Amino acid sequence: MIGKLLLYIDPGSGSYLIQVIIAAVLGAAFFFKNLWWKFRSLFTRKKPPSQQNDNKNV
Amino acid sequence: MSEPALHPSSYRDPAGFVFQVEGIYYRQVNQSYAADYSLLMSSGLYDTLAGKGLLITHQELPDGPVLPAHATQRYKTLLPAQLGTISYPYEWSFGQLRDAALHTLEVLNISLRHDMILKDATPFNIQFVQGKPVLIDTLSFEKYDPALPWVAYRQFCECFLFPLYLEHYCGIEQRKFQTAWPDGISARLTARLLPWKSRLNAGALLHVHLPNSVRSGGKERKTTFSRQKLLHILQHLEGIIRKLKANVASHPTWNDYYNRTILSQDYLHEKEKLFRQYVDGIAFRTALDIGTNDGFFARILSERKEASILAIDADATCIHRLYTIVREKNIQNVLPLCIDLLLPSPAIGLRNKERASFHDRVHPELVVALAVLHHLVLSSNIPLHDIAGYMAALTIRLLVIEFVPLEDPKAQELIRNRDSHHPYDTHSFERHFLEYFSIEKKSGVPGTKRVLYLMRKKTPIP
Repeated sequence: MIGKLLLYIDPGSGSYLIQVIIAAVLGAAFFFKNLWWKFRSLFTRKKPPSQQNDNKNV
Repeated sequence: MSEPALHPSSYRDPAGFVFQVEGIYYRQVNQSYAADYSLLMSSGLYDTLAGKGLLITHQELPDGPVLPAHATQRYKTLLPAQLGTISYPYEWSFGQLRDAALHTLEVLNISLRHDMILKDATPFNIQFVQGKPVLIDTLSFEKYDPALPWVAYRQFCECFLFPLYLEHYCGIEQRKFQTAWPDGISARLTARLLPWKSRLNAGALLHVHLPNSVRSGGKERKTTFSRQKLLHILQHLEGIIRKLKANVASHPTWNDYYNRTILSQDYLHEKEKLFRQYVDGIAFRTALDIGTNDGFFARILSERKEASILAIDADATCIHRLYTIVREKNIQNVLPLCIDLLLPSPAIGLRNKERASFHDRVHPELVVALAVLHHLVLSSNIPLHDIAGYMAALTIRLLVIEFVPLEDPKAQELIRNRDSHHPYDTHSFERHFLEYFSIEKKSGVPGTKRVLYLMRKKTPIP
């Protein structure tokens, strides 16, 4: 798939694989962070940061 | 009249190139980039970015100039906003590279909302315009495919993130790495240079040490990706970069020069009064303040709103501090740069023409050299006649220069352990400078034996 693309810069050997790994780690981290904030919000009125920032995301 | 010419650094991207005709820069968009360029313009991305001042503006010129050798590839000719003094990342302070990195991420985030992505991420695509970073490469965008990771991720890390990490952890100015590796420093070398404790930091672990340990030979494997995954990475990168700090404590510092030394506030006040008298009576559109320190005098010059002020110092800490001040106070016409006059940026790149030398880019109408001369003569052993010739080559018309005599305590500090090799007195100073300049104003700074001069360059130079 990637070999067919005409890229003018070299994405770097393994760069795509690394992004997949990093995204997986971050995805898990964000999941647990959100879970923690939801748990906290049961006891406080503060909203999770993900909800506060939702409008900033795509 | 100069011949139309391709810009020497504009050969990498097949999407188009920059060229110059009679001193005006144009950009050709090639046929191969037509679809992406149309998407940039029709998706609203260009309007959004240009409206926020994040991307260089341009006009399309249907009858614009064309380089004959490239006429068949032409899709559009653009007239971009013309830039003032170009600066390079190896002349930036930590804060400037950090803001350029954050700027790149902001542009990328906005691009994704318009289904486009940055296909490259190099600090050479960023310039400081009216005090703020601006992306100057209109052809950096391409259609976004959510199934693919970011093609420029490695380039972003190597050119922005790793030099910032190195200054943060090792206290080595980021610009030194930019000088040695203008196309980016590898994860492998960065990982070797960072201290062991960086492995305890999630950001450094994921973006430096992990890529260093993953070796994948040959072609990229098929990967599955998503927009949300990319957003997580971008959010993470932004969070990391916002927390990184310039390691100012490790630098030899000129901070608080005026406060710490014998140079009292009275001295500064008297010098300011004289300086204002001198510059109030002259006209200039461009000025260069050498050894600017915290930019006190550059900021006085910036009160001329029509003038562009370049404020240089060899000390990156001073430039980092001045950059912070000009951003906070929204001073738009001062560009602080880390330049050592004894080691000014050379011309680099292919045929030594891709990136012009400092002196090829900077031609100020006014040069200001306050409390600099004694360093050049007494510390660096440059003869006075060489400095006079150098100042005459540097300025187009005017020079404000301070003579710090040998008996001044700051001059005495410099020759504490050695004698001066060259004659250094008021008579020799005036004799050598009068070869190139006429003295328009001359006043002692009250309370000291220092003398401030306003000189005008003789034309033609003998």
